Amino acid sequence: MPIDRDASAPPVLSLSDEDLMARVAADDEKAFTELVRRFQGRVTNLVSRVLNDRECADDLAQEVFVRVFVHRRNYRQGSKFSTWLFTIAANLAKNEIRRRVRKRNWFSLDALQEMLKDSAIQLADPTENREATLEREQLQAAVGRAIATVPEKYRLALVLRDIEGLAYEEIAQVLGIPGGTVRSRINRARGMLKRKLQPLLGKAGTS
Amino acid sequence: MICDRARGLFGACWDDELTQAEKEWLEAHFSSCARCRAEYDDYSRALELAGSLPRVEARADFVDRVLARAHRASATPDRLGEVRTQWLPVAAAAAASALLVAALFVLPRAPWRGPAEGGPERMASRPVASAPALPGPKSLARPGLPAVAVKLPERRSPQSAAAAVIPDSLFDHSEDVDFILDPVAIRRGHASMTHGDLPGTSVRGQQALITF
Repeated sequence: MPIDRDASAPPVLSLSDEDLMARVAADDEKAFTELVRRFQGRVTNLVSRVLNDRECADDLAQEVFVRVFVHRRNYRQGSKFSTWLFTIAANLAKNEIRRRVRKRNWFSLDALQEMLKDSAIQLADPTENREATLEREQLQAAVGRAIATVPEKYRLALVLRDIEGLAYEEIAQVLGIPGGTVRSRINRARGMLKRKLQPLLGKAGTS
Repeated sequence: MICDRARGLFGACWDDELTQAEKEWLEAHFSSCARCRAEYDDYSRALELAGSLPRVEARADFVDRVLARAHRASATPDRLGEVRTQWLPVAAAAAASALLVAALFVLPRAPWRGPAEGGPERMASRPVASAPALPGPKSLARPGLPAVAVKLPERRSPQSAAAAVIPDSLFDHSEDVDFILDPVAIRRGHASMTHGDLPGTSVRGQQALITF
């Protein structure tokens, strides 16, 4: 991979995402490193929330950036980089969900951790502070699981909107569907999530 | 009806996209409908929970691992492009082979249209199925044994059936069938005569059905 550009070039930190991507397309590794650094958290969080599987999400998030690099010359200059990045991430997450549905025998390390955590809860000394922490963690885990059980096409829209905070228009571009469809999917996904979390909502409201 | 309308506004209310008039209408409805108020409270609490989930952070070595993988990926050519260029000549060769096979086997075995087309020599060189002696109206198929049902052209005379030629849609397997599947039964019930065949010389089959 050819790397360095001339010293007169502006430092990568001051460049916009789109300018960085333009330099990545010209085989600038420093620009690529900066893009990975900027977006690693968002991509990892997005994939992790969609899959509810930390280990797999880490691997998949890396793959997202590898795809960005491999297909760097396919990036359309002038388009928003984050939209392109999230499109790749959403497609890879979608593929992974479908692969799992096909196999139906995947084993989540997160699920194992949940099981271990549950047994640890039963063994732990119940101090008030610790109880509150565990309760919060359990609640978060339950919310994560509830999101993961929302059907794929609704789940992606929900995570992009209510967790990643993307605008409806950007979600439409990422998912390649009309804006009206995005709104209806998000509305349905929210309704599903509310129903799934219904038993926990009173508890969450008091804590 | 009014409650349905109110619930239809929940999403826009959460996204803060309601007009002032809609906002006032919804507030007025909430003050008179405790059920919708409670529904919206649950709705917003569920979304708060989803939105307040802790961020899953990338691992400390994330960047290094991505760079290592990107180096490996860029060291090998893009598989998609490779596949396309690799398969193009293969597909072309396959198409050419199919055409060659068709030219070698199918065309020479094309149905004989009479002496005017090929003459007696060509007729003799054609693979001709040695059709079993026709047993008459009853089928020879025995219970428990495989049978070959052959749709024959309508017989005009017993002599014409004796030299029946039975090509299928692409290749003529009549010899194989004769060799492998024995006994065979010829169902004469589906017979039909090809236009242009000369009576008393040969007949040409339209279709072969093999059943087990």
